[in-house]
Amino acid sequence: MDAVLNAFALALTPAALLATTVGTLLGLVFGAVPGLTFTVALALVLPLTFSLSVAPAVGMLLGTYIGGMTGGSVSSILVGIPGTPSAAATVLDGYPMARQGKASLAMGTAVIVSTFGGLFSLVIMMVSVDAVAKLALKFGPAEIFALVLFGLSTICGLSEKSLLKGMIAGILGLLVMTIGLDDIDGVQRLTFGTVTLQQGISLLVAMIAMFAVPHVVEAFVDYYRGQEQRMRSADVRMELPRLADLGKHFWLMVRCSILGTGIGAIPGTGGPIAAFLAYSHAQKYSNETVPYGKGALGGIVAPEAANNAVTGGAMIPMLSLGIPGDPATAIILSGLLIHGLAPGPMLFIEHIDKVYMIYVAVIISYIAILFIQLLGIRYFVQLLRIPAHMLAVGIIVMCGFGAYSVRNSVFDVYTLAVLGVASWGLMRANIPLTPIILGLVLGPTLEREFRTALVLSEGSFAIFVSSFPAALFLALSAFVFIMPLIRALRGRKKPAAGESQTHA
Amino acid sequence: MSAMSLKSILAATVITAGAGMTSVVAQTFPAKPVEMTVLFGGTAQTIGQLLADLMSKELGQPLVPVARTGGGGSVGYQHVHSASADGYSIVWNSNSISTNYHGGKINFDYKAFKPIAKISIEVPALAVSASSGWKTVADMVKDIKTSGKKLKIGASGKGSFTHLTTVALLDSLGLAEQTLHVPYDQGKAPVELLAGRIDAALQWPGQFLSHAKAGTINILCVTSNKRVSEAPDVPTCDEAGAKGLNITMWRGLAAPANTPDDVIAKLEAAAKKAVASEAFVKASKTVGFEPAYADRKEFGNEIAADDKQIADLMKKLGLKQ
Repeated sequence: MDAVLNAFALALTPAALLATTVGTLLGLVFGAVPGLTFTVALALVLPLTFSLSVAPAVGMLLGTYIGGMTGGSVSSILVGIPGTPSAAATVLDGYPMARQGKASLAMGTAVIVSTFGGLFSLVIMMVSVDAVAKLALKFGPAEIFALVLFGLSTICGLSEKSLLKGMIAGILGLLVMTIGLDDIDGVQRLTFGTVTLQQGISLLVAMIAMFAVPHVVEAFVDYYRGQEQRMRSADVRMELPRLADLGKHFWLMVRCSILGTGIGAIPGTGGPIAAFLAYSHAQKYSNETVPYGKGALGGIVAPEAANNAVTGGAMIPMLSLGIPGDPATAIILSGLLIHGLAPGPMLFIEHIDKVYMIYVAVIISYIAILFIQLLGIRYFVQLLRIPAHMLAVGIIVMCGFGAYSVRNSVFDVYTLAVLGVASWGLMRANIPLTPIILGLVLGPTLEREFRTALVLSEGSFAIFVSSFPAALFLALSAFVFIMPLIRALRGRKKPAAGESQTHA
Repeated sequence: MSAMSLKSILAATVITAGAGMTSVVAQTFPAKPVEMTVLFGGTAQTIGQLLADLMSKELGQPLVPVARTGGGGSVGYQHVHSASADGYSIVWNSNSISTNYHGGKINFDYKAFKPIAKISIEVPALAVSASSGWKTVADMVKDIKTSGKKLKIGASGKGSFTHLTTVALLDSLGLAEQTLHVPYDQGKAPVELLAGRIDAALQWPGQFLSHAKAGTINILCVTSNKRVSEAPDVPTCDEAGAKGLNITMWRGLAAPANTPDDVIAKLEAAAKKAVASEAFVKASKTVGFEPAYADRKEFGNEIAADDKQIADLMKKLGLKQ
């Protein structure tokens, strides 16, 4: 009990409260602006924390991380461009809602659901950190491969109109990510002998290119054709979700929070995978009046609950095993190290008060998010009053900045241009872009885990069916791939769930 | 190649033309922020940021760490290599200059840079799961040799520093024929050990210490010829049976080859003070590295010796290009 009180005393000092709130705000801003991510924000914040004492330093880092994870939904909903890769799935229904004038409803839901997901994962972490860490240990290369393949199989759900086009798109995404240095064998692939291409295509840059550039091009085209569809200011009304709306999705929220926590706890996966899996889960079991992809509220609830639950999940292996789940947690880890808190089993024995302090900082951060975002919504939606073609100029400038800032490389700005124009072409050819994104997100993990598994088994494919989780997820993926074929054979095609998901 | 030599001729001309001005330049150096290219995330980034913070105080101008990761460091080296040699663009470098050059990723080697100062070393450690029952290197070697099984050992990808160290270590223990190298992302080694998917792992001691204290992982040896301060009870691999083994990962600062000496001297002095500072020494204990300042001359000799060792290892493995 002393440790708990001590933790509260540490985390609730004015300096710690201020640092946590500032971190949260910074994370929100970096998360919300397309192109700037919270990984960049964390790298900027880290040196600032060197001179702070432990509680404010940890609070600031965690606030930035959590704020960033939540902020990504703002631009997903408002302009159809995900602020972070984790918020890519939120675009699918969030943007259509904004176009129907329900932006504030969508954003309000996203904030509340995110907070729920985040706190839910925190509670799981508090009560069962050891059990979850043990479970996560069971996920080796073969199991992660199977899980990620299952994630990839959701392409089928996302491209009901044409499975073939969905597959083409998915494979394009997988291919793009093979450019660069292969970490396993240390060889160069598709670099044409240049040093520049060795860095490969940054996931973030590819994602901005696919979501933002086609958008911007279309906005200009519409403007010059005189078909500009300006958001009427009457459409920008302030509407927060009612309890009844949230209540209807309560169990979806819980299920997706569990899923997010679980995926976050497995090192090498992360927010985007969790969000897409949650989305496809929601889509499959939906009984909503509004079809998914057309502005269904469940399409926001699922990915947002899941991606924020990842934050708590990812902290489980980080704190208990000392293993960062993704680049963002790696930066938090180094912040903890600088302040003498070496994560691992001994952290819970030697510094349990600091562990509780981390929990309290997470709670403070979510309270800050709830306040800042709910108050901010009325200002965020004003963005929609800006004429589309003018907003487009601002967006493309921000994206250019963002692309450069990822790795301080002009190459990434060129990549943005090339991939952006290519995506616009694909969109025109009716190739859906969402499966490409899935390919981009999952490709590197899929390949690495597949090859590592085969190295471990010395080439035997039996490793993929010899453990329960691997076999389970492989069977599920096979089921998802085969189902549409069976349906087609029976001639009992599922009624088309609306238009294609081409691009939001 | 011809473009390269043209560039160096141009650079040489500029340097000769400006030779008379160097002393004036050095007096005012640094007149603007100095950019330090950081090649990797993780420990490299953490130490780099801390060092930059401390050196800024000495220089009177900010030393700005700029991350240019990707391509295993090649992208960052390329950037600094083609930057102007005025001391305003320096690189936070490491053995990766040699692994990248000999692995055919960049077409210039350590001679393209002028050393400023060595800052720190990190020493890889060999660890096994406690459930294996291996308490010493000898236990492991005996068990593997008698069972005839292959030792599954985790390290980073082929041609990486930890991979090369693994090879050198196992070679010296006589296990070279009986190993299976499993490539892992840096942070994952302890998980894979605890889960029993690999038998041993070669990574940074910081990742193993907490587990070792908790009794789930045994650290068998460290690859330097001196014990490390974070784990003073762990023997060196040399003591444990790998006679003569001494491999460490150094980190330091370097600038493009034509940078004036007096500018280098200013940076060297700032680095020396930063490394000796209390904040740096304190961080070294928790982050997991050893402060190891060496002046530019000594540093230059070490880089050259290290380059030869890495070239030989990679040639032996058929990885040299």
